[in-house]
This record gives sequence, C-alpha cells and structure tokens, in this order.
Amino acid sequence: MPVVDVDPDALRRLTGHDEKDDEELKQDLFGLGLEFEGETEDGEFQLEFAPDRLDRLSVEGVARSLRYQYGDDRGVYVPNTNDADWTIEVDSSVPDERPFVTGAVVRDVNLDEAALDSLIQLQEKLHATMGRKRVKGAIGIHDLTMLKGRLASDERGNSIRYVGVEADEDRFVPLDSDRELTPGEVLTEHQTGREYADIVADYGRYPAIYDDIGLFSFPPVINGRRTEVSTDSRDLFVEMTGTDQWTIDKMLNVVCYALDARGATIEEVTVDYPDDPVYADESVERVDPGVDVVRPDLSTSEKHVAHDRIEGLLGVNLDPDEVVDLLERSGLDAVTDESDDGALRYRVAVPPYRVDVLHPLDLVDDVGRAYGFNELDPQYPEVGTVGGRHARSTLEDAVRDQLVGLGFTDLLNFHMTNEAENYERMRVDPDEHDCVGAGEPVTITEPYSEDYTMIRSWALPSLAMVLENNTHRSYPQDIAEVGFAAEYDADEDSYVAERQTVAGALARHDASYEDAKAVLQSLARDFDVELETPPTDHPSFIDGRTASVVLDGEDVGVVGELHPAVLVEHDLELPVVAFEFELEALR
Amino acid sequence: MQLPGTQVSVLEAASATDATSVTALADELGEKPETVVGAVFELADSGLLTVEERTEERVELTDEGETYVESGLPEVRLYRAAVEAGADDGAVSMGQVIGASGLEGGAVDIALANYARKGYGSIESGELTADPDADPDADGEATVLAALADGRVDAGDIEASVREQLVSRDLVTVPESTERLVTLTDEGVTALMEGVEESETVGQLTPELLTSGEWQDVEFTEYNVEADAETRYGGKKHILRQTADRVKDVLVGMGFQEMEGPHADAEFWINDCLFMPQDHPARTHWDQFALDVPPMQDLPAELVDRVEDAHRNGVGADGDGYHSPWTEDVARGVDLRGHTTSLSMRYLSGHAQGELEPPQRYFSVEKVYRNDTLDATHLLEFFQIEGWVMAEDLSVRDLMGTFTEFYEQFGITDLQFKPHYNPYTEPSFELFGEHPETGEIVEIGNSGIFREEVLRPLGVDCDVMAWGLALERLLMLTHGFEDIRDVHGTLVDLDFLRTEEVVH
Repeated sequence: MPVVDVDPDALRRLTGHDEKDDEELKQDLFGLGLEFEGETEDGEFQLEFAPDRLDRLSVEGVARSLRYQYGDDRGVYVPNTNDADWTIEVDSSVPDERPFVTGAVVRDVNLDEAALDSLIQLQEKLHATMGRKRVKGAIGIHDLTMLKGRLASDERGNSIRYVGVEADEDRFVPLDSDRELTPGEVLTEHQTGREYADIVADYGRYPAIYDDIGLFSFPPVINGRRTEVSTDSRDLFVEMTGTDQWTIDKMLNVVCYALDARGATIEEVTVDYPDDPVYADESVERVDPGVDVVRPDLSTSEKHVAHDRIEGLLGVNLDPDEVVDLLERSGLDAVTDESDDGALRYRVAVPPYRVDVLHPLDLVDDVGRAYGFNELDPQYPEVGTVGGRHARSTLEDAVRDQLVGLGFTDLLNFHMTNEAENYERMRVDPDEHDCVGAGEPVTITEPYSEDYTMIRSWALPSLAMVLENNTHRSYPQDIAEVGFAAEYDADEDSYVAERQTVAGALARHDASYEDAKAVLQSLARDFDVELETPPTDHPSFIDGRTASVVLDGEDVGVVGELHPAVLVEHDLELPVVAFEFELEALR
Repeated sequence: MQLPGTQVSVLEAASATDATSVTALADELGEKPETVVGAVFELADSGLLTVEERTEERVELTDEGETYVESGLPEVRLYRAAVEAGADDGAVSMGQVIGASGLEGGAVDIALANYARKGYGSIESGELTADPDADPDADGEATVLAALADGRVDAGDIEASVREQLVSRDLVTVPESTERLVTLTDEGVTALMEGVEESETVGQLTPELLTSGEWQDVEFTEYNVEADAETRYGGKKHILRQTADRVKDVLVGMGFQEMEGPHADAEFWINDCLFMPQDHPARTHWDQFALDVPPMQDLPAELVDRVEDAHRNGVGADGDGYHSPWTEDVARGVDLRGHTTSLSMRYLSGHAQGELEPPQRYFSVEKVYRNDTLDATHLLEFFQIEGWVMAEDLSVRDLMGTFTEFYEQFGITDLQFKPHYNPYTEPSFELFGEHPETGEIVEIGNSGIFREEVLRPLGVDCDVMAWGLALERLLMLTHGFEDIRDVHGTLVDLDFLRTEEVVH
C-alpha cells in the first residue's frame, strides 16, 4: 500500500489548525484511514493508506480531507480556471500505443523547497498508483518561462506539439545529463532511460514533445533539462501522456487541486487531436474527433443514492437532513430527490479529484465513514442456515485420525517445491519413469526463489525432507501427511490434475516392509476397501521390497523400503519404509 | 518385625553412629537409588531411621574450560605473544600480536575482552602494550582451572570473585546436588536387635497368581509412583491442522457450509470476478504465481461477457467501469489462487453446485499462494479462512455481529472495525482485536460487503458479506508463536510437533 511522507507543520498550516499537536494529528489521520507508520529523518509523518483516495497522495490533499473531517469545509469545491492561451497540438505521427495527452498551465505558484518536494512526491506517487509505473499515465511538469510557444494553427495563442519520432531523429539534453542525447541513446545511456526503456520498447515511434525551440520532453521516460522546475519557477506547464484519457485527466485534476491549495491559479489548455486518431488498443474509449478538448476538466459527476439503501447498509435510521449533512461533510454536494417510483433518494455531485466513486455504494461508504462505523452496534444476523462439512474434507480428517491412532505424527508441508527435491533426490526421472511421483511437473512462471519452482507431484519427498531435518531427534520417527499434489495433464480444463494424497514413512532402526504394509492393512480395514500389494519397481525403493498399492482393484500407489541411495542422499542412517496412495481410493 | 526386602537391606546397611548417604547405600546394596530412596522414606515414616538433606555444590569444568587447561587462557596466550613481540617495551600492532599468538576466531575476541581487565596491558587504537610486571603464571583464573582439572580443589575453596568470573565466562558450571544422609534411630537399633525379617513380596502380578488364588497371601513390592516414566510420543495432529479443525467446528456451529475447489485456477475466477482491474498492481507475477500451462480451456461464456461488461461499464444506471484494458486472454491465464475467494466466486455463480438461494453461509479453510518475501510472519503458501453470508438485506451491523461472535470463540474481544478499501467490497473493514495474551491491538482480518460489480454479473441479486483471515495468524495470536516458519513446512522440528500443547 502507498506510503506518503507528510510534514506535520505543513498540515497544521494548510488546515489552519496550529493548535493540533502531533498525537492529535495522528488520531485524526487514523480516522481518515491513514495509518502512521513512522517518521522520516526530517520529522515528516510516513502515512500508509489504502489506494482508493489517490487525491490524498500529497499533504495538500490530506489537509483538504482533514478540513472536511473537522467540519471547516463542506460540500464540493472547484477552483476557478482562466481561459486557455496554450494549445497542445497532437500530430498524427504520435505513437498509437500512447495516443492521449492532457495538460494545464499553472501560474503564480510559490514553490519553496518544501512545496517543490511535495509536488515531486505527488508526481512519483501518482506514477506508482494510477499511472501504473508510468505505463498508463506519466506526468511532466515544466517551467513555462523556458518554453517558447509556436503560433497555434488556429492563430489563437501559443502551442506545443505532441509527436512521434524515430530513435535517432533528434537530440536534446535530458535531466541529470550534460550532453545531448537522442531518444534511443537516452534508453541505453541514461539511468532513468534504462529504468523506463521497457515501456516504449515495443512502440513503433517514440513519444516526444516540441516547442518552437525544439524537443523538450520524451514522455514517459524523461524531461529535458531546459524546462526543469526549480524553486525560482513561477509559472508551470503540466502535461501528461498516457494510454487512457480518463486516467491522465484524473491525475491532472489531483495535481491541479494540490497546486490550487498552494495559492496558484489554474489556466486551461486546449488539446487539439488529429481528425483520424489511430489507437493500438481498439477497445479504449475514443476521444470525439473534431471537438476541442479543454483541460483540466474540473466538472463534477452525478450519482443517485437511494435513502433505503443507505439505511439498509448501515443498519440505522437517518433523517434526510442528516444524510445531506454527512454527504457534505464528506466533500460532496447533495440534494434530496425522488426516483421514478417515488422513493426518496439523493442527487450527489462528486468532485473531479475523486477517482474511487464507481457506484452509488461508494457514496454510502462515505456516509458511513462520516457517521462513524464504530458508532454502530453489532448485531447477529437473523438468518437460519445449516452448517456442514465438505465430503472430501471429512474423508481427509478421518484418514488423518486413523493415522494418528496408529502413532503417526501428522505433517503439513508446502505444496511448492523444486525439481531436485521432487525428482532427483528421490532418484525419479519424469521423462524416463512411469511411477508414483513421476508425473510431469506443473511449473511456476518466473519463480521468485529457486527453492519453489513447481507444485509437488507427490508428497513422499516432503516427508524425506522432514526426516532429513530431524536426524538429531529421537527415533522411531513415524510421520504422515494427508495433503495435496498435482501434475500436468492436458485432459484437465486447467491442464493441472490436482489430487489429495496419503503418504507415510516409518524411520526405525528395525523398520521393514511389513511395518508399512501393516499400516495399509489397518487403513484398508478401517475404510472397508480390499488391499492387494503386487510386486513392482520404483526407483525410490529397494527392488524386491516394493509393491503397488491396489485398493478395490485399482492401482493407486506404492509401498516399500526406501532405497539406500535415497536414504544416504537425505543423510539418514537407518532404514525407512514408506507408502503413498490416493486419498479418493478410501472413499 | 516383618518388612519388605529392600527396607530390610537398607536397615541392615545403615549405621547408628555414622550418617550414610543414599548413594552409598544404593552402591552397597546394588539397588537403584530411587528404590533405596523409597525404602528410606518408608523407614523414616516408621521412625526406624532419620533422613537429613544436604545440598552440595560442585564446580565442574565446561568443555571450553578444559580446552584452556590444555592450551592456556586466550588472554594469557595473547600476553605471552605480546611480550615476545616487545609490547612490554612499547606499543605493538594488535594484528601482529594476534598473528603471533596463534589465536583464531572467537578466541581473539575473548582474549581482547579479558586482556585489559586482568591488567595484562592496554589496547588502544589498534595497538597493544603489555605490562612488564604482570605475571601470567600467577593468573588466578588459570590456576583455578588447572586445580579443578587435577581435582586438587574443593568448591568452597575457590575465591568467590574468581568463581564468578569463570561462571560468567562459561568456563565452569556449578551444579547443585542434594544428598540424603541416613542414620539409624534408637528404635531402628532396637528393631534390628530384636530381629527383622523379610516379608514375601511380589513384583509382577501374573496369570498364575490370579488363577491360583495365591494373590490373597502375597504383599506387592512398592513402586516409587512419583518417578518419571519413559518418554512416550503418541501420534498427533499437526498444530496448524488442529487449529483448522477448531475453526471449522466453530463455523459449522455458526451454520456455515464448507466449500472446496481448485488450487490452480483461471485468473477469471481468482481476479476478474472479484472486479480486480486487469492492470491492478496485485495482478503482476510479483504478487501471484502464474503457472507455465496453456490458458484455461473452458470458461462460462455468458458469465465472462457479464464480468467484462462490469469492468468496462460498471453496474447499474449510475455505475462506471474501470478505465483499464480487459482481455479474455488474461482472464484465461492459470495461476495458483492468491485467495480462496476464487471458491466463493465459483459457489456464488452457481458453477460449483448449482444456483444458491438466500440465505446461505459458506466457508473454507484452504491453502492460498502469494509471491511474497519469506519471513517470520509471511509464507509463500498459507491457509486462508474465508467465509461469507448471503441474505436479502445485510447491513454493516450484521457483518460486525458475525465477526464479533466468531472471534470471541478464540478469546479475541473488543473488535474494532477500521474502514478500508478493497476493489471487491464496499464498505470494507480491516478488523482489529485485542491480543488475548499481550493486550496489544492487532490486525485480525479483512472484511466487507461484496460490491454490486462483483455480485450482479454472478447473478446474485441480494447482499453478500465476506471476510478473510490467515489461519497461521490466528494460531500465532492464540499460541504466541514468533516465527511461522517453525510451524509450517519441511523445516518443522518433530519435537516441537510432538510436545506442543494441543488445541481445544
């Protein structure tokens, strides 16, 4: 979950509550669902929160939510915006994998060191969350005074151009560099370039943004040094590119609200798309061609919430006035209304920085939070149902009980293992052998650890590992597991044949084949199945002391004395007899 | 007078003038000490002898102590090497002296730690000086160690401060032993003079004794019924399995039916049905285990369409979808389930065992798999307790009431519900409760009411509330385990499984 560093002093200043001490602030933040995780070296709070309210990814957003919580603010706030002077012209050469752009001009910002840090953090956190590590949306913030606009094609003002370029078509000086590089060189020679090279690796052309002077940004990888923002910057150009218009527009709204809270003025930007845009992902929502896109889009959206639904979900009776009050204290606007069938409902306006409201239920949650969920009295639901166990799980339990009665220590091993443990150390070769355990492996794509690369095809290797890890413990060691194993099987829907397996091992100084067979006889009797043990070969067992486990006529497993090579491989210095068979055979 | 055989022997072996130890008596009689102790107490109860207890301390060399008797104390070796290197004349590099001393590994630290303390010289900024007046041959600790090795010294004769040092350095141990001394009383002497006979006793009750009726005339040898018997380990269910059984009992008692289903399943059931957008960060291979198998062959086509529609367009008149890519290819990918909510989806959709009509309660306690970093509280695979309740109208209060009831069965009370966010539930709550032992407030689960975007595509028109919790977490809470790796997996210690208290 995201963690955001927030300066408590900035929080006090932005909320206007200088009297709150750190402890009170932490309490209030917990109430918002922001958990205090610790402090940075500079004394900033590290706050962890669930990734729904992305508008709280900066101190400005957190302060706004606190002011609503304190009751200092009510209802929806929308900043004023000035009319557009700048246009982003989108060229038809733009890569069709990244066809969308948005932007805003922000004037008269007062960026001290702290405010600049906060802005950079917000940018990074938005990249990490909504921006899906810049794949879906990437933010570029530029010093406006360093941009030289071209006369827009409609001659109404300044313009910059979003285009696609070849890897070596042009050069610019990227951030953290002191020489000119082509976009291709940035991806191989620049540290940030290497980090994000994967995103554009399959693009037909590379995204680039030009002003009248030339190339100044290579989204989503890196900005140019010319337009770098510093504490001296007064006016900013914010642009965002991405694979989805809605996503970058919402990211832009969050940034604009944060800068507005710092006293800046937001100025609109026109986005001029080509008439026949091509999108690599054809299912993506299209932008109407020929319509001027004016951004940021700070319009509110509307949802209708039924009064009954609120009362039903919270389990309390509420006055309509109270509901409106709770909605307003959540930063929403609400008026009462009637649905077509005359039922009381609320028409709720949702501010443009909210990205988490997909359904009226999300607003019921807001009402609940404002009301205080912990104020509600728990009640046991008055619905009668009959409990019961699954047949497989009761069979498992019954077998486990019998094994425990026979003196076995019940085990619980991991289902994931590796080829060496599952096959090699048991002398089994899945390509060569056709025996219990030699099933084709179900392997894990891109395993994280070489110890866990596949699902075990049988359970005996796990038992051998437990014996190996317990050679310092007293014998006899009689161990058993009723557990899970799986192998590759093209006849299955999922290509994975799953089964429950019963495995046991008796490690004793005088262990012999009959000890294992005696256990099987006992189980066969307990579960009323007929046991036969015709001789067989198995690479894990000694020839001549190995048998198939045949239950009610079906070959379902193996029993025998473990091969000395397997014992030595597991550092065991005494005989071990073992068995494994399918649980279902006992049904 | 008639007495059992052992008592007669003890009485005859004891003296009225010299106190005899029980050990000596046992040696003399060739009996086990515990047998003799039993007889001694019986005789003392009859007033025939007195027993006096004396606690004795011994001082014994540890293995490390014995090593130093052979090779010399590390600090003495260091001093000798230092003098050899001329450190009694001026500072010498520490590395040089250590090299010359032949000390290695932990012995170096031991030498350095004791060197200055015992006045052999000083160590400063990597250089070492030796006090020319120090006399390693007079080292008090070394002297005592040597004397102990030769058996030339009694515990009481060692200077207290030296002994304390040696104990703190683990060079000696001071085990205590209690010795019982026995003396005949006047009654004992009298009894002996009047004559004491051995009564006829029987060790083992045999079939012959029983059938012949002889058992009526014999006396049974007394056993020391307080002595420890041989250690015996019976079979035992795994502690985590016992906890699972307990959870299942509780849930069945609360009216829940058990679910089951595949471990390897399509992402459709694991994630898409749960309204997790396909570009959600938790759906990368860093969080879940994708399997190297072809895509799932069979998915219910109509359900797939409804789920895709919910992702793209939302549910209901005012619903919005995600602005994320959605393809059936991704939905067909086969993973190890990251949660057993995939089972809930199969049951709620009617694909597990037919359409369900409210009310219903279902649960499972089954394995899930997460590509996490292994540490004391995280495993790559663990058991998830999953439960849900389906009813016409459910409120947050019903959810709270159900969980309060469940956790109380495990001694966890005063639940707190912290509003939370999950893509698949709204409202959502993290559950916190008071640790039954430590009183700490700890997270004990995640819960919520399934979103309409989850339920409507599945064909469910009523409310469903659900919660999840790691079984291992519950076990750690109720049993106070610190490291879950000690419990679950092939690294488990068999003695731990054999000796851990059972769950009930």
